[in-house]
Amino acid sequence: MTDTPAPKTVARSRLAMTWDSDVAHAFRHSPVAMISFAVTAILILSAVFAPLIAPHDPFNPATLNLMNGFTPPGEANMFTGESFVLGTDDQGRDVFSTILYGLRISLFVGFAAVGFAMVLGITLGLIAGYVGGLVETIIMRVADVQLTFPAILVAMLIFGIAKGITPPEYRNDVAIWVLIIAIGLSDWVQFARVVRGATMVEKSKEYVQAARLIGRSPAAIMLRHILPNVLSPVLVIATISLALAIIAEATLSFLGVGAPPTEPSLGTLIRIGQSFLFSGEWWILFFPACTLLVLALSVNLLGDWLRDALNPRLR
Amino acid sequence: MVSYIFRRILQSVLVLLVVGLVAFAMFRFVGDPVDTMLGQERTVQDIERLRESLGLNDPFFVQYWNFLGRALQGDLGISYRQGRPVAEIIAERLPATLELAAVSGTFALLMGIGLGVFTAIRRHGFSANAIMALSLIGVSLPTFLIGILLIYLFAVELRWLPSFGRGETVMVGGWSTGFLTQSGLIALILPSITLGLYQMTLIMRLVRSEMLEVMRQDYIRFARARGLSQRAIHFRHALKNTLVPVITVTGLQLGSIIAFAIITETVFQWPGVGLLFINAIQFVDIPVMAAYLMLISVMFVGINLIVDLLYVAIDPRLRS
Amino acid sequence: MNRLLTATALAAMLAAPAYSETFRWASTTDPQTMDPHAVSSTPVLGFLNNVYEGLVRRGRDMTIEASLATAWEPLPEGAGWRFTLREGVTFHDGAAFTAEDVRFSYERASSEASDVRSWFAPVSDVVVVDDFTVDILTTAPQPIFPDSIANWMIMDSGWAAANDATGVARDVENFATLNANGTAAFRLVSRQPDLETVLEPFDGWWGEVEHNITQAIFTPIQNDATAVAALLSGEIDMINPVPVQDAARIEAGDGVSVLRGIETRVIMLGFAHDHETLQNGAPNPFSDVRVRRAVAQAVNVDAILQTIMRGSAEPASQLVPPSSRGFSTGLDTRPPLDPDAARALLAEAGYPDGFDFTLSCTNDRYINDEAVCQAVVGMLAQVGMTATLEAGPVSNYWPELRAGNFDMYLLGWSPGTFDAEHPLRFLVHTAGDALGTWNFGGYSNPRIDALIPLIQSEIDDSARQAMLDETAATIQEDMVYVPLYVEPLLWGVRDGVSLTQRPDNFFILRWVTVD
Repeated sequence: MTDTPAPKTVARSRLAMTWDSDVAHAFRHSPVAMISFAVTAILILSAVFAPLIAPHDPFNPATLNLMNGFTPPGEANMFTGESFVLGTDDQGRDVFSTILYGLRISLFVGFAAVGFAMVLGITLGLIAGYVGGLVETIIMRVADVQLTFPAILVAMLIFGIAKGITPPEYRNDVAIWVLIIAIGLSDWVQFARVVRGATMVEKSKEYVQAARLIGRSPAAIMLRHILPNVLSPVLVIATISLALAIIAEATLSFLGVGAPPTEPSLGTLIRIGQSFLFSGEWWILFFPACTLLVLALSVNLLGDWLRDALNPRLR
Repeated sequence: MVSYIFRRILQSVLVLLVVGLVAFAMFRFVGDPVDTMLGQERTVQDIERLRESLGLNDPFFVQYWNFLGRALQGDLGISYRQGRPVAEIIAERLPATLELAAVSGTFALLMGIGLGVFTAIRRHGFSANAIMALSLIGVSLPTFLIGILLIYLFAVELRWLPSFGRGETVMVGGWSTGFLTQSGLIALILPSITLGLYQMTLIMRLVRSEMLEVMRQDYIRFARARGLSQRAIHFRHALKNTLVPVITVTGLQLGSIIAFAIITETVFQWPGVGLLFINAIQFVDIPVMAAYLMLISVMFVGINLIVDLLYVAIDPRLRS
Repeated sequence: MNRLLTATALAAMLAAPAYSETFRWASTTDPQTMDPHAVSSTPVLGFLNNVYEGLVRRGRDMTIEASLATAWEPLPEGAGWRFTLREGVTFHDGAAFTAEDVRFSYERASSEASDVRSWFAPVSDVVVVDDFTVDILTTAPQPIFPDSIANWMIMDSGWAAANDATGVARDVENFATLNANGTAAFRLVSRQPDLETVLEPFDGWWGEVEHNITQAIFTPIQNDATAVAALLSGEIDMINPVPVQDAARIEAGDGVSVLRGIETRVIMLGFAHDHETLQNGAPNPFSDVRVRRAVAQAVNVDAILQTIMRGSAEPASQLVPPSSRGFSTGLDTRPPLDPDAARALLAEAGYPDGFDFTLSCTNDRYINDEAVCQAVVGMLAQVGMTATLEAGPVSNYWPELRAGNFDMYLLGWSPGTFDAEHPLRFLVHTAGDALGTWNFGGYSNPRIDALIPLIQSEIDDSARQAMLDETAATIQEDMVYVPLYVEPLLWGVRDGVSLTQRPDNFFILRWVTVD
């Protein structure tokens, strides 16, 4: 955890250099990295362009025909004669389209939650590490409280409160943001701990002392001098957290605290699909689960590789 | 050192109090227990009378204060759902969760360290890479799905293992244990794997990366140059030095094992406190929810404290 | 020689049919308590019907038959009912059953903490005439009183007094929470809440034994998939319910089958009748009967039953299922499915372009409730009514409805008395303290309010039916609710087990035989 001290200028250019050559070089020589990056990119792109790719709009209830329900993949429905590449679910929704749209929501929740956790964690970590004293104690105890409340619980409680204070018609829109905040809140502690540790190490170094002597504001010192030095571990945590956040959303769905069923995420689709595991409509569970697996797997592999690549001592 | 411990304990108590306050502030958003307690033919007066007798009309901090007052005397209240003392119910259910947590924690620790060392030593080997990739699949699916898939495979298709419950349990001085019967041990297998898989992966990856890091350091190189055997280097020196972060993470994960037991217990109908908590949420059983949250907090804060103190004990540099 | 004998004996032992018939069954909900007066819910009353008995009971076809009372007749001038009690009945602990126990059980069940006290609302007193005769006096004639007390379970006064259980155990614990002492065919052997409850046959039972069980073990299993897995893997002999989607697969599988029936619960859509505005602030269209009728004509109930309910449920036309007493046979058709007519009705009501609103729904209360609501959203969207689905757990559902936070909502109603009068009292009567307590939408019709007490006290069956028919017609005309379907009953049963499924979803152990 203890990073080797380096003067400020070297630190910055090392970061730049790493990006320019080392990482890129390592990337070119790692088939795992390239494949997982490609898969992640394809999934992200198909989520972004879902409205263009998807043959149906599963979020528009007016276009659904319930009689299309439970059509097996590639077969024609026995009432309507329509057929669907990956079949349909219990509502007659095209599973392929639903996955694309669900991916969109899952990725959005994932990125936003990690972004939220990152901003919160880095800010609090920097402050705790730099200011120290009572402020640090308070922040780190709050972090303890946060860890004490299991993420699932935090989400359920926040969900309850949000429901209590929003009028019913906005609740579905709010649901997504509540998920983001809930997952983000359960994740910021990691960032804060890493950043705080690194900040404490950096704080005592000459260049920070020098910057302080020439009268730079604490905020400037933290943002310009300390932050760049902790970006690599933050990036690694962020990547792994992304996969975790997407899985967490799915877990919350199981407990009934997920995206609304009319606008399902991958997790909601899996929750719905698991009730058809024994009834033979395997495709309702199988395809969303596979998508989630492939997404989480490639993001995880990418994070793994990134950790090794950004850690010069491991090469 | 003594004043450090004292300060940390004081902070821990404060944390507990805050957790309780937050919990009580949130309960009224979970639902209204009166609706789940009364049958469909209740009158408006019945509702009011029950609310009053349960103290639900009081502001939440008054409810919290009353809870604290009683809790300090060892009285955790009466469950709304079962109509029995909460302390009694939790005492009945805790062994199931603790045994499950212990087995899955041990599984995660042993497998995690073993596989971590293996994948670190054989860093470029095929099997090590295969294990690394496979372990990721385990953490790329939500816990509940893994549990259901395991049930489907091992209970329904193969019929090797039971699909739910603890099997036969034996009472040993007020503690119901599944360790002493064959069916009790068999019943532990699937839930433990489901619960421990994520932690195992985490520990394995941590051990691997710490080992790789330590093995690059000078003293290991010296040891190697001195002609120490590979085995001695790997286990006596490298592994030993990876243990501090492993202790930290395991300690923190122990708490999350208990938290994630909520999901596993629901899927496997495991009669522990996690399932109790889920039932309490569905029923808006406030005394049980409050007791569970406080219990988890005490455990987690305690674990945190112990890990911190262990840290100080292991690493002399932190003693200043 | 000796050896041969031993071997023969051993073989005989092995070949002998297994007399010890342990029967294991599972359901989603554990009965909260063993106190028969503390909780009025199907899991509790259904379970305790195996342990406790009432004066009367329901047979396999729901008809009222003799139990602890052998005969009953109305007292002159509608003053109440006289029950003649069965002689020679003993409780599980050996105490004799007498009229004093009936009187005690009345006092206990009608006390303030009791959850079944509404059954005794018309009762003014219970008079012990002699050891085996009691008069239950009522304030007004009560023609269906015996029907309404089929689940009123009789507790031994001596046992209750000895164990300090004379009060109802609701927010306090007492001996009756975990222990039971009834007169029924099974006695409670051990009780571990949420884990396992064991019953064994009561040797001293007065009735004729039809079952062949030696031990019955109940386990709650909450997760549907786990319960199905436990049935398929042979760990459990019977589960209730089977998820509708899994019924076909279970039937096709080896060694298990599905027992299908129709429950008494009618699933319906309710409306905000008396709200000025919708949740989004727009004027409330649902106070217009044409809009409510449009909803009824836009929802394709047959499609819901065919896909989501897999053909297991039956369409509903009234607030009670056709099998219940007082059902209006002449009014058993639903409004026809006609999206064009629905659009026309909307236009006529002043909403040619439709409107936006919220559909409130549970996601853990009724069979596939969330999926049904989703389908309703789709069907309404096709005629221009754009609903936002607000689906949540039931724990927070009733508080929301009571607070008026809804536009349209899903409701299931199971008539406790199995009579058409029951939903009128709770769902249709103008909302008040004791009546109309589930009339969240605020529908109010003075004529129906006036008819309800008349129905309750009418002794003549045809006059009573005429009044029920009138209210049923008014309810249909006003589209107070849009009934959708009657919920199915699906039990998964291991082959070799035969049992009886009663429409009130009570599982009666004394009708179980195991091969």
